[in-house]
Amino acid sequence: MRVLIVEDEARLAENLAAALREGPGLAVDCAADGLTGDAMAGYRCYDLIVLDLMLPKLDGLALLRRLRGRRDSTPVLILTAKEGKSTIVELLNAGADDYLAKPFDLGELIARAKALIRRGKGAAHPTLSALDLEVNTFEQSVHRNGVAVDLSPTEYRILEYLIYHPRRIFSKRELLEHLYDYNWEHHSNVIEAHVSNLRKKLEAAAPGAEPVIETMRGRGYRLCLGQSA
Amino acid sequence: MKTARKSIAFQLIAAVLAVELVSSLLVAALSLVYERHIHLSSFDAVLRGRADSVLGAVQDADDVNDNVILDRADLHVPGEDLYEVYDDGVKRLLGRSSNWPAEDAKGLVAAAPAQLAATASNTFSHLKIGRRRYGFVLLHGSRIVDPGEPGGGKVHSITILYGAPSDRVWHAIDSAVEFYAAGSILLLAITGPLIAWLLHRGLLPLRQLAALASGITANDWHFDPPESARTTPELAPLTQALENTLARLERSFVQQRTFVSDAAHELKTAVAVIKSSLQLLSLRPRTVAEWQAGLARCVADAERLEELVGKMLTLARVEDGAVAVGSAQACDLAGCLRRAADELATVAALRSVRIDAVNLSEAMPVPLAAEDCWLVVSNLLLNAIQHSPPESVVEIRMDAETGESPAAIEFSVVDRGEGIDPAVLPYVFDRFYRGDPSRARSTGGAGLGLAIVRGIVEHAGGSIHLASAPGNGTTAIVRLPRAAPIPSHALADSAVSSV
Repeated sequence: MRVLIVEDEARLAENLAAALREGPGLAVDCAADGLTGDAMAGYRCYDLIVLDLMLPKLDGLALLRRLRGRRDSTPVLILTAKEGKSTIVELLNAGADDYLAKPFDLGELIARAKALIRRGKGAAHPTLSALDLEVNTFEQSVHRNGVAVDLSPTEYRILEYLIYHPRRIFSKRELLEHLYDYNWEHHSNVIEAHVSNLRKKLEAAAPGAEPVIETMRGRGYRLCLGQSA
Repeated sequence: MKTARKSIAFQLIAAVLAVELVSSLLVAALSLVYERHIHLSSFDAVLRGRADSVLGAVQDADDVNDNVILDRADLHVPGEDLYEVYDDGVKRLLGRSSNWPAEDAKGLVAAAPAQLAATASNTFSHLKIGRRRYGFVLLHGSRIVDPGEPGGGKVHSITILYGAPSDRVWHAIDSAVEFYAAGSILLLAITGPLIAWLLHRGLLPLRQLAALASGITANDWHFDPPESARTTPELAPLTQALENTLARLERSFVQQRTFVSDAAHELKTAVAVIKSSLQLLSLRPRTVAEWQAGLARCVADAERLEELVGKMLTLARVEDGAVAVGSAQACDLAGCLRRAADELATVAALRSVRIDAVNLSEAMPVPLAAEDCWLVVSNLLLNAIQHSPPESVVEIRMDAETGESPAAIEFSVVDRGEGIDPAVLPYVFDRFYRGDPSRARSTGGAGLGLAIVRGIVEHAGGSIHLASAPGNGTTAIVRLPRAAPIPSHALADSAVSSV
């Protein structure tokens, strides 16, 4: 999952990015002003936008309106130092999904960020399951047929991303866009290597069972759920 | 009661009533004079007419002895009138009315017969006989006996003293004056309440204005005076003054509120940074090196918060007007500029910027405390350095006004940076305003520096303005009044202290 933080206070943005990377293992990009944030959000490769209200060049509310104006439904978590119910109501009415008042609790921010991403993917419960697979997004653990599968962070992120939409085909490009931030080199064969490892580990957990991840040549990957075996 | 006496309405009513009272007294006096004249002259005419008819009675009377007599047969005069008729001056009494008063009173009328004869005809006089008042006329006439005889007959000079009671006349005069006086009093009685009512009505817009003004609070600045208050010449200045004052107050209130909310935002953000730094550290087990690095960051964050609070306090002090003005507090601007150029040279070197100080040779006393002068100079210089591209020059230049005793000193700080957008130029002195916030953040500014500078300069009676062309750099020009020359030992002191 990839998060965009639009925050002009450099140190705060740094801390937020570090917390989101270290905690739920998200890919994080930062924008220091509203216009940059708007441009970056325009790539539509984010699963959550954390938005400060008081921003240079384009304030948070205006950015939010632009975002929703072009039918971008990415979940938005607002960070605000402003008081008052009217502001909050205005924000929620403008299309914000949640808000946190500064100074906030980092743990709460992480929890809310995860909940918003989950909701954005259409899942209500932190445990996702498909066929014999179970992914606990809270503990970041994976079980197959009750057997724990030990995955690297990137492998876990790929599986988590796929399991939100079983049967949907995800292109390598989309996986790259949503799992890596700008700090990473973008090479599609990185994805191939990780998927290959992931496949091996999942098969090892249930020897002889059908493969879980199907490769659609030239199109991408999807979870195959056994019907077409 | 005291307040009632001071009230404008009370004073106006009292003044009007006083004027009215004086004029009614005048009317009464004038009417007395006029009525007296009118009534008495008609009374005198009547008196003369009656005296004439008495004379006629004397002239028409034919006596067989050719004597002059008074024939009362054809004489018709009111019975209450008095008359006396004399022949040949006042030698012989021809007759008198039956009710002619007693001797003592008669003596009053004709005290000296000779005098009476000498008195000119048609002389009127007023007397009081008994309880009644009388008007008298003296009439001289003549009666020629046997005019047809040789020698022209005999001429008798007749003197008639005729009197009539004048009580009625005096009564008429009195009642006329009384009528005028009563009318005036009635008018006074009506005018008092009427004016009070009119004033009450007339002052209604004033009371409305007061009610409107008293409804204003710090939260509700709505003041919409009725159109009448704006168009009435007497109320317009007051309304205008109220509106202007309220607008000014509201502006400063809004400014204050904005400042508080901005300050709260800055403080919350600063606290959020520290809190998140600490929570980030405790997010998972860390190595000692990670802890140390994290704590160092937390300390740096706390120092930024400290700096922010310090700046806010400085601004509050500056805007409170606590900056002392006057020659008692003076420092050498040139020395301060030199010191700033020296101390900030390293900061500038970090950004590969050179500081060029021009024309800072002679001492230039300005009415600023040394620390305030330092705040002004260092803030401007730091700004210039931060907005300078690498390998450029920041220039500090001082221009004293020419002449024997220049009244003002001007200095400018010039950078060759990106300049300021003309659209934001008017706001750069606003508190918490940042021309480029993301950049200012990275340099630790909270947008208070220029506000502090302007506060200090303006309290010292000087002025500051920025001249800037985007892409061409910015020039900050500060103009300060010149203070009295500083003794050399104080100069040394001011150069030592630093902020």
